[in-house]
Amino acid sequence: MTGGSSGELERNIGFLEAMTLGGGTMIGAGIFILPGIAAEGAGPASSLSFVIAGFVALLAALSLSELATGMPIAGGSYHYVNQALGGFFGSIVGWGMWSGLMFASAFYMIGFGQYLVAPIPFLDGRLFIVLLGLVGLALIVGVNYYGTEESSQLQNVMIGAETVIVLIYVAVGLFFIDPANLEPFAPTGPSGIIATTGIVFVSFLGFEIIATVAGEVKDPSRNIPLTMLLSVVLVTILYALVMLVSTGVLPYDSLGDSLVPVSDVAVVYLGSIGVVAIVAAAAIAAISSSNSSILAAARVNFAMGRDDLMSEHLNVTHDRFGTPHRAIIVTGAVTGLLVTAGLGVETIVSLLAEVASFSFLVSYSLVHVALVVFRRADPDAYDPSFRIPDLLYPAVPVLGILLTVLVISQMATVIILLGLGIVALGAGWYIVYARDQGFETGLITEALEPDISDAYRVVVPISNPDTQQDLIRLGAATAKAHTNDGTPELVAVNVIQVADQSPQQNVAAERLTHQRELLEAAQQHATEMDVRLQTRAVTGQNVGETILETLIEEDADQVLLGWQGSLTKDEAVFGPNLDPVVEQAPCEVSLVTLHNERIGSPIALAGPGPHAPVAARRAVEFATLDNTVPTLLNVQSSTASADPIARGEETITAVAERAGIRTDEFETKVLVSDDIEDTILDAVRDYDTICVGLSERGEAARLRFGTIAEQISQQATGNVGIVRGPYDSTSTKTEPVETVEPK
Amino acid sequence: MPLSGDSTILVPVDVSVTDPPDQGILQLLRPVNVVVLGYYPVPKQTAPAHLQADHESEAASRLDDIVNQFDSAGHEVEGVLVFTKDREDTIDRVADQHDCGAVLVPNEIGSIERILVPLRGDVNLERIISLVGDLLRMNDATVTLFHASSTGADPSQGEFMLRGAADRLSEDGVDPERIDWTLAEDDDPTSAIVNLAAEYDLVILGETEPTLRERIIGTVLTPVLDKIDKPTIIVRDID
Repeated sequence: MTGGSSGELERNIGFLEAMTLGGGTMIGAGIFILPGIAAEGAGPASSLSFVIAGFVALLAALSLSELATGMPIAGGSYHYVNQALGGFFGSIVGWGMWSGLMFASAFYMIGFGQYLVAPIPFLDGRLFIVLLGLVGLALIVGVNYYGTEESSQLQNVMIGAETVIVLIYVAVGLFFIDPANLEPFAPTGPSGIIATTGIVFVSFLGFEIIATVAGEVKDPSRNIPLTMLLSVVLVTILYALVMLVSTGVLPYDSLGDSLVPVSDVAVVYLGSIGVVAIVAAAAIAAISSSNSSILAAARVNFAMGRDDLMSEHLNVTHDRFGTPHRAIIVTGAVTGLLVTAGLGVETIVSLLAEVASFSFLVSYSLVHVALVVFRRADPDAYDPSFRIPDLLYPAVPVLGILLTVLVISQMATVIILLGLGIVALGAGWYIVYARDQGFETGLITEALEPDISDAYRVVVPISNPDTQQDLIRLGAATAKAHTNDGTPELVAVNVIQVADQSPQQNVAAERLTHQRELLEAAQQHATEMDVRLQTRAVTGQNVGETILETLIEEDADQVLLGWQGSLTKDEAVFGPNLDPVVEQAPCEVSLVTLHNERIGSPIALAGPGPHAPVAARRAVEFATLDNTVPTLLNVQSSTASADPIARGEETITAVAERAGIRTDEFETKVLVSDDIEDTILDAVRDYDTICVGLSERGEAARLRFGTIAEQISQQATGNVGIVRGPYDSTSTKTEPVETVEPK
Repeated sequence: MPLSGDSTILVPVDVSVTDPPDQGILQLLRPVNVVVLGYYPVPKQTAPAHLQADHESEAASRLDDIVNQFDSAGHEVEGVLVFTKDREDTIDRVADQHDCGAVLVPNEIGSIERILVPLRGDVNLERIISLVGDLLRMNDATVTLFHASSTGADPSQGEFMLRGAADRLSEDGVDPERIDWTLAEDDDPTSAIVNLAAEYDLVILGETEPTLRERIIGTVLTPVLDKIDKPTIIVRDID
């Protein structure tokens, strides 16, 4: 045993770390900077703005929890949207999150400057605020460039201290609320409350960080949903209380004028010690929130690079420090520019907050769409351990999208334009940079298809342009006979065999062209036959295994395979590609050898074999192509019973009954002979098409072809269909049936 | 459950740097099974998957090299590659998953001639002794069993334990000439062990806290491990 070629990823983030990561980022800077702006926008009712924003975040956290436990891998929202909706929307969300994090980070750093400057009156002025913000930012970028060992202890202490200060602020402040200050409660009315929601939503970005590190969370199925939902709920309550205290202690209009609202409130009842504590907490909060944002941005960039949506150049990790230093520098540089913009824009704080909110609101609404897409398409790999309860689905995503639209609709025009500009940047980036990278369109097309899982589905593997038309015709004939459970469907699948199953493999261009031509032709034949057809282009190392996977994915009822008719002499029976399918397919299998184009009047052997009824049914279905009626043949030995003809008729009737075909859909033919095999071989010679049931699966999973079926397949000049029924998917073996050939 | 004969030792190796395994270690661990934990430290700033994407093949080949060197020394050896932000966390988990009875804390190592085994008389005694027995089977090193009892306490208990342990070793087939024991009266066993360790090539310690993590970053073992610049094997308490 040698060291594995694939490394494991250690999950180092436990419950507490995830809570400080999510909750810590949220309790961060927002709570110290926003109360002033919020009070100005909605008066005392701004606590309702926080509750609404928290509710929107909670809906997003629910959807994200399900997606994150379904795909615990770095990238967060971006990754889920990219998987569900394809690269175009993936690019929009990726760029949206990246710019949203940069705007948020700039917002935190300006707040950092404001809190440090305010207590020192002679330094008052925007230049110093911006300079301090830039210094703080440079510090963060520097630390992250060089990389630090995981030392969550210091961070836990800082976030703990900061939380305690906020709790004291709230707990003591509740006693100093002057009810008169809370009148009028909502001076700007509902639209003001909603508009304020758009600004304060930036405070709730932290829970998303938990999703971006989902791959590192211990016991993810428990910890991811728990920490995301809990942190959102706790922070919402805390914020609503902070707003209530702030607007209750100071009149909202004077609060609105303050750059440092929380310390202005604290000075009223906590004195200068309170102010120092608040300033310290605000500074810590700004630094830690900004830090988390810059790190989250690097992860989004990495995830985009993994999907070829972002330059690998940006995502290189540093040789020595192991950090994604370029992504950190670029993020820091743009954030610095945004901070510097504070020199020219007076309302920079609310502008930054609101654009960041806009970007994330757009991302979260697409996350809700992604959830619906995943639920609809239900890919095999998607098996979330946390699911939104049935009672709340689809209410959560629908409500989430509606609320997002509502909040965005109340934003200022300039914000909407800036936000749309970022969306356009993501869209433009996809069109210019990423579209040629050739990646998938996501699950959206699958999700949009009507739910036809119950309808009869025939998978037809095709590889030979000469025979595929006939295969499609036969497939269509069998499909059309099953209209009970909705419109039946054909699935034409072509497998490109590759040596190595790595996603980056390059398949030669001409093979892809050949594949496309085959599938296009199949589509055309299907249209001629007036049957629905889906095409699947797949690659795999083993053709048979890949077809089996497709059968399971498509939940197929039948697989119809072409077979050239010769038995191989080595290990395989029908051939190395066909054997695994014939042996293991969970559905009905029809193996057809086409000698001539005419299906004509088919004959089916209605013998005692377990698959005779399926063969009979197939004969009925094939017969519809030429508007004929098939014959069910039974051969009896003359000595077996007193009236062999009657016994033969009985056998045929029994087979037809089990096959579920009506008596007017077939003709019967009973022959009496002592050499049953020869008689059968003689009799079928006159028919264009012969359907015969496969013998039962033998022991040790080897195929038992059955002598009759084998001889027919080798001697017949007409078309031959070798048929078996579905295996019970719950057991690997069919029940032992007294088989085979009549003696 | 004694470790007899088929002890498995976890050997953590930093695969982000090229560092060939020490010949002394290869020699020492010849008679036991080895799980080589190739860990790739991930800074806080980086998603583990990111470094994995950038460095997986390089790290895997380094690990393979090391595993092969152990292989050639005739061990049953397994390699595990992990990208982690917390080495101790990973050592703990992998040691659990792979049933490793002990963990090597590597240090500069030469040829192993003298082994120090401080004993506390805890539940781990049995496991420590059988590991020592396993290791001594295929080399010529001498072992010193050590116990420090606090001043004023009855030293006979410590002596009883040390004699018993020495007897066990010789029953295991270790030449009694190679076994030695020292009983000290000292209220500060930590510094006694640290001072003594300077004269030895390898220290084998028992874990007393419930987890290895506690031992390494906790209060008890840290001073010992910090101050000993000798390779150390920690026998895990996995009862």
